[in-house]
Amino acid sequence: MYKLLSLSISILLITTTLFAQETASGNERQKGHYNTNKFKQLKQELPTPNNQHNASGAPGYEYTQQQVDYDMNIVLDDKNQRIYGEETITYHNNSKDELDYLWVQLDQNVRSANSKTKDINGSGSRSRYTPSNFTKSFMEKSFDGGFNIEQVTDISDNPITHFINQTMMRVNLPQPLTSGEKFVFTIKWWYNINNYMVIGGRSGFEELSDGNMAYVIAQFFPRLAVYNNVEGWQNMQFWGRSEFALEFGNYNVTITTPADFILNGTGNIQNPREVFSKKQYKRFTEAKKSYENPIFIVTPEEAAETKKDSSQKTKTWKLYAENVRDFAFATSRKYMWDAMAVKLNDKTVMAYSLYPKEGMPLWEEHSTRVVANALKVYSQYTFDYPYPHATSINAEMGMEYPMICFNYGRPNKDGYYSERLKKGMIGVITHEIGHNYFPMIINSDERQWTWMDEGIDSFVQIYALEKYDSKLFPTSKYPKNIVGYMKGDQSKLAPIMSQGDNLFNFSSNAYAKPAAGLFMLRQTIMGPELFDHAFKTYAKRWKFKHPTPADFFRTMEDASAMDLDWFWRGWFYTTGNNDIGIKSVQKYYITDKPTERAKNIVKRYGMTIDQLDPALYLVSEGSEEFTEDLKNNKPEDFKLLNDYLTDNFSKEEKNELKSPKYFYEIKFEKPGDLVMPIIVEFEYEDGTKERKQYPAQIWSKNDQVVTKLFPSNKSITKITVDPDEQTADVNLSNNSWPKNKETKFEKFKKNQIKG
Amino acid sequence: MKFKKYIILLFLIPTFAFTIHKYYVSLCEIEYIEEQQSIQIIIGLFIDDIEFSLNKIHNTNLYLATPKEFLNIDGYYEAYLNKHFKIKVNNSNKNYIFIGKEYNDDIVRFYLEITGIQSINSLEINNNCLFEEFEQQQNIVKLKIKNKYKTLYFNRKNNKGLLKF
Repeated sequence: MYKLLSLSISILLITTTLFAQETASGNERQKGHYNTNKFKQLKQELPTPNNQHNASGAPGYEYTQQQVDYDMNIVLDDKNQRIYGEETITYHNNSKDELDYLWVQLDQNVRSANSKTKDINGSGSRSRYTPSNFTKSFMEKSFDGGFNIEQVTDISDNPITHFINQTMMRVNLPQPLTSGEKFVFTIKWWYNINNYMVIGGRSGFEELSDGNMAYVIAQFFPRLAVYNNVEGWQNMQFWGRSEFALEFGNYNVTITTPADFILNGTGNIQNPREVFSKKQYKRFTEAKKSYENPIFIVTPEEAAETKKDSSQKTKTWKLYAENVRDFAFATSRKYMWDAMAVKLNDKTVMAYSLYPKEGMPLWEEHSTRVVANALKVYSQYTFDYPYPHATSINAEMGMEYPMICFNYGRPNKDGYYSERLKKGMIGVITHEIGHNYFPMIINSDERQWTWMDEGIDSFVQIYALEKYDSKLFPTSKYPKNIVGYMKGDQSKLAPIMSQGDNLFNFSSNAYAKPAAGLFMLRQTIMGPELFDHAFKTYAKRWKFKHPTPADFFRTMEDASAMDLDWFWRGWFYTTGNNDIGIKSVQKYYITDKPTERAKNIVKRYGMTIDQLDPALYLVSEGSEEFTEDLKNNKPEDFKLLNDYLTDNFSKEEKNELKSPKYFYEIKFEKPGDLVMPIIVEFEYEDGTKERKQYPAQIWSKNDQVVTKLFPSNKSITKITVDPDEQTADVNLSNNSWPKNKETKFEKFKKNQIKG
Repeated sequence: MKFKKYIILLFLIPTFAFTIHKYYVSLCEIEYIEEQQSIQIIIGLFIDDIEFSLNKIHNTNLYLATPKEFLNIDGYYEAYLNKHFKIKVNNSNKNYIFIGKEYNDDIVRFYLEITGIQSINSLEINNNCLFEEFEQQQNIVKLKIKNKYKTLYFNRKNNKGLLKF
C-alpha cells in the first residue's frame, strides 16, 4: 500500500506541470470545438476513395481513361505567318458512360479579337508609356488571332453541329457514343500565328535579327478535352495561365514548310531521307552512336547559307508519335541542330537541340548536354524515359510539350553571356525537359492543379541541376529559398491547393513552395530512402494516367508507412509558416535533500515528504535552494543511488551506466502555425557537437510549447534549433541559446573593416 | 532590345510556364541598438530586379554580380537607395552611411547605418524600391526597436509607414 502510494505520488511529481496549466484558465465558460489538432487526418479534405482512384492512391480496378488519336495534315505559310490544318480525330470512349457530346479545346481563342482574357485582367493607368506601348495600348486594332473553324464533319463528310464557348467547342454527336465505341470526325481550321515577342503567348513566331522567322508552334490544333473519373469533362476555360488537360493517343502528322526549313517535333521523323540532305541524313544516323559529345546534324554553316525568299518550294515532314498527350513542333530555316545519344539502362534515347545563331555559343556548349543530364536524373527518380527523343528549342520563353520544349537563353551579340544567363538557361532546359514526366507522362490535370506538374517538376529539377553542376546549383539553398515568400503578407498568399487561376505570386506558390516542401520531406522528414521509393511508386502507378492530388498524398503514405497528413495539411492546404525556437533553458543539479517543489506537492495529498522513501531531487540553478556546491555533485556520490546500483547491477553492468552531471530543461516554443520536426544541435564545452531530431509528432499534444530534459555529463555551451536551416523556419532570432548578441549587421561591418 | 520588350510583357501578362524568378519581394531589416546609438539597416533585393531597374535608368548594361561589373557600382546602388529608400527619425530626415553590399546567390544585400541616434520617438520609412518597374513588388520592412518587433508591408499604393514609440 505504501509503495503504491509512493509510486502514485512520484507520478504526480512528474505531471504537475500539466495540472498547473489546466487549472490556470479563468472562470468563463469554455466553448467546445471541432478537432483542430494539426495531426488530424485529411478525411474531410480528400475525396472519398473509390474503385477508380483507390484508397492507397493507385488507379482502382474500375479506373478508365479515354484515348484520342489524331491524323493531321498541316501547312505552314511562312509568308503570311499563318497555319492551316485538317485533322481527323478518332475518339475512343473507354469510360462506362454514354456521351452525348465531346468538348474540344480551342486554346488559340485566348488571342481572338473578342477574347475575354483581357477583360478579366485589371488595368490601371501606368506611370510611363513608351511610344510603342502607347500605340499598342490605345491606338492599334488588336491582333486578329484565334481559330477559324472552317468545318467539322463526320467520316462521310456530313457536317456536325458544334458550338463555341470561348476556348471550348462542344461537338454534338449524331448519336450518343456508348461505352467501348469510337467516333471519327474531321476538323478543318486555320489561324494567324501570333508574334510571341510582341503580344506574348506560349507559342508563336519571332522575327530573327536577319528578318527570318522562327516558329515554335503549340496548342495549334483543336484538341480533345479530358473526360475522366473525377471531373467528367475538364472544360474549364483557358484564361492564359492555368495550363492543359489532355488525353493520350497516337499522332500521325504531316507538316509542309518551305523547302529550306529545318523542323523537329513530337514523335519520330518518318521520312528523314526526304527532309534532310544526304550529309545531314548521315550525321542524323551517326549521332545515334555519339554518347560522349553532341555532334551537328545541321551545321552552323548550313544554317547560315539559307536565304529568305530564295525559293517557293516546299517540303513535307512526316512525324509519328505513340502514346503522347499532345503534339508540338518548331521550325525555321535558321536552325542548326545538334544531337547526342543517351544510354538509359537497356535503351538509347536521343537528346537534341535546335537553335538559331542567336543562341551561340551558349547553346552549343550546354543545351544538348543539359537535356541528356535531365533525362538521366529524371529517369533515376521515376522510370526510364519512354520516348525516343527529347528536344530543346531556342526561343524566348520556357514551355513544355511531349518530347519537345522551348527554352530561353541568348548571349549578347558579341557572344558574351553572364553566369546568371547560363544558370537561367540550364535551369529552364532542365525544368522543361523534366515536364516530359510531370505532366506529359504522369499526366495530372494542369488546368486544375498547377503545383502537380510545376511543383513536382521543380523538385526533381533541384537534383538534376545539382548533378549537372553542383557548384552552380548547390542544394544548400533549399528549402530556405522559400522563407521570404512564406513570411510575406498573408493577404497575398494562397494555399498550394488552390486552382491555378486564383493564385498570387504564381511562381512561388505553384513552383517554389511545393518544390521546397518536397525537398524538405525527402531530406529531413522522410529521408531519401523512404521518400524515393514512395515517389517512384507514385510515378510508376500513374505513368500514362491521370493522377489527382489525393493519389499523390495517399501513395506517399501508402508506400512508406509514414503518416504525412500533418505535412500535406500544413504545407499544401494552409498558408501557415514554420517558426520554432528556444523559449528557455534551465539547468538543474542533483541533491538528495527534498526540494520545496517536491514537498509542496506531497503536502497537497496530506502527507509529508519523510513519509515517502528517500529519493533524489533536481534543484534548478538560480532558485532559492540552489547553492554553488551543488555543482560538484555527481550521481555516484549519493549513497542512496550507489546502494541501489550495487544491489541491482553487476560490476560490469555498473561500469556501462552513464553518469550525468548536468541536467538541462529546454522549453521549445512554436510561434509558427506549422508543425515540424525539431532539430537540435548541442555544443559542449570541449567543442564537440551532437544532434538530435524529434519527429513533428512532438507537437501532437501541445501545439505551442514542449519541454525536454537533457541529462549530460559535459556542460553545454550552445544550443541551436535547426542549425542547417532545413525546415524553412521564418524567424531565426529565437533559434539559439544563449541568444546571439552580435547582429548580422555587426558581423558584416566587422568583416568590411577587416577586408 | 527585343528581349527587354519581352521581359516587360512578361511582367504585365504572367503567362510564363517557368520560373523567371521566384517572387517580387524585398526584405528590409531595421534594428536600433541603443548602446551604440545606431540604426542598422539591411536591405535585400533580387539582383535581377535591381539590375533591370538600374539598366533602365542608366540605359546601359551593368553586368551586376559578374566579373564585368563596374568598379564604382556601389555609387549606382547608393544613388538608387537615396532616391527610393528614405528614413525620418524623430521627424527629421536622416542620411545613412552605405557600409557595403554583399551578393548571395540571387540576392544583393545593402548594409546601411544611421549613427548618433540617442533615442527614438518616431520613425518614418518610405521604401519604394522597384515599385516603378514591377507591379507586384512587395517590400517587407521588419523592425526591432526597444525590444518591440513590428513588420510593415509596402506596395505601390502604400509605400510609407510611420511608427511611434
